[in-house]
Amino acid sequence: MSQLNITHVVVISLTAVFLLVAMDRAGQLRGPQPTYVPPAKPAPLAAVDPEKGKPPPHNDTVEDMPAGKGREVTFYTCTACHGVALIKAQGLTRDLWDSSIDLMIEKHRMPPVKPAERAEILDYLAEQFPPRRRGRNTDNPFLK
Amino acid sequence: MGRSESWNASRRNVLKGVGMAAVGASLPPVGAALAQGTAPAAPKGPKLLEMEGKARLSVLGDKPLVAETQAELMDDSVTPTDKLFVRNNGQVPDITGDPKAWKIKIDGEVNTPLELTVGELMSRFPNVTYQLMLECGGNGRSFFSPEARGNQWTNGGAGCPQWTGVHLADVLKAAGLKSSAIYTGHYGADPTLAGETDKPSISRGMPIAKAMEEHTIIAFKLNGKDMPLIHGAPARLVVPGWAGSLSTKWLNRIWIRDKEHDGPGMGGFSYRLTKTPIVPGTKGDEKDTVILEAMPVRSVITFPADGTRLAAGTKKLDLRGQAWSGEADIKTVDISTDYGVSWKPAKVDPAPNKYAWQRFTAAVDLPSAGYYEVWAKATDAKGVTQPFVAGNWNPQGYGANPINRIRVLVAT
Repeated sequence: MSQLNITHVVVISLTAVFLLVAMDRAGQLRGPQPTYVPPAKPAPLAAVDPEKGKPPPHNDTVEDMPAGKGREVTFYTCTACHGVALIKAQGLTRDLWDSSIDLMIEKHRMPPVKPAERAEILDYLAEQFPPRRRGRNTDNPFLK
Repeated sequence: MGRSESWNASRRNVLKGVGMAAVGASLPPVGAALAQGTAPAAPKGPKLLEMEGKARLSVLGDKPLVAETQAELMDDSVTPTDKLFVRNNGQVPDITGDPKAWKIKIDGEVNTPLELTVGELMSRFPNVTYQLMLECGGNGRSFFSPEARGNQWTNGGAGCPQWTGVHLADVLKAAGLKSSAIYTGHYGADPTLAGETDKPSISRGMPIAKAMEEHTIIAFKLNGKDMPLIHGAPARLVVPGWAGSLSTKWLNRIWIRDKEHDGPGMGGFSYRLTKTPIVPGTKGDEKDTVILEAMPVRSVITFPADGTRLAAGTKKLDLRGQAWSGEADIKTVDISTDYGVSWKPAKVDPAPNKYAWQRFTAAVDLPSAGYYEVWAKATDAKGVTQPFVAGNWNPQGYGANPINRIRVLVAT
């Protein structure tokens, strides 16, 4: 009953090997291992009430928009509703910027702006955010 | 046998988990490290979402919050809640109290206007669970050249989680549709971006036939759990296959109309395609447009990530992806590694139900070291396929569904 049979021998040997490898912190018994690079630690979560599940707050400032004539009036007019990131992601012809202002006034209750202000905003938007998408290989990941 | 199956299943899960961690670590600058284990490049690229309960999605805008799912995060067969894209048109409403007491009004062209709580919906009508596509109407907009107005989505304004709710048709039958009922108008509780609560931030609608389709549901659970606020709790519409703006979050009213709905988001160029093709970058004519209903056919390679470096000697690439089409099953997905000169069919899995995306897999030969583009092109059961470039440019950028591609580099 207390005899060692082949199963015992196998189990004991395997256990010994596992233990040896497990204790081998220096890795001398395991040969070359791929380097593990831990993922970058994510930035701490923004202060939101987790009960409410609301999006994180955003705090745009005038300086988040590119410098240029008309920046202030454009910032205060557009950011009543929109984040700067969305504005900066646009690349529109003057015509389309002009119709975008119409769209906001006509469909989205933007308070009408004085003609002089509107011209200043339009100049700024058309100058700062024109169409700029080029060929489909300008963002090749292997050229960085 | 059962044991070895479950062992295999758990092993698969472990491998999948490892793969996802590696892919996740390689974000955002289009893929850094996959095969060689090098550290990701400095965080130059899209801003990543930092929000409780959500994965690090790519933020397209923070006011309103709009975040898309990177292609490599669309790899799960069923989209996990944390990886589902976020699209808001207004602010996220404050909702307190018992979600089951949330009220939804059905009025307009009905015999019996109803006001039902979520609790009543749950108990009064059969509860159903489907895996349903939710896709932003503007998905793919960034493929237009020149830029079209709006959030610059790549392909990540789409996901296919499991939704539980009740057939909208059952609710509408309970209210009794009048013969004059031809269209719906949807309302949610989200304030406008300016903070107004006396008008909807958006209010779109659909023809009655789509409202009565069995997969159109009022949902209250997402992936078997309570729906997070950001995804529309306590209740939302899910109108699968059609522009996501119909799938109203924080749903509080469905107005049955005797004409096409005219709420914000139904006019101008919003969710509209041009009838006569226009010169890209021009203003166009609002009157010469047609409403975008079903979403176009699309394929997305979800593994490996764009920009993956492959080890020297790699001769074969096992790729995976998802493909879908608004109102049709996917018939074929074809893969090309020679810029469309030759195509080979991928294996396409059947959908678990109508309006779910379908997994495709392929083993692609890479005959030598060097740079490859791997292209995917889906064709649906109606024979409609994807174009080589985004066409039919329109001012607000709908319907861009060009052939998908990833770029890989086999080390020399």
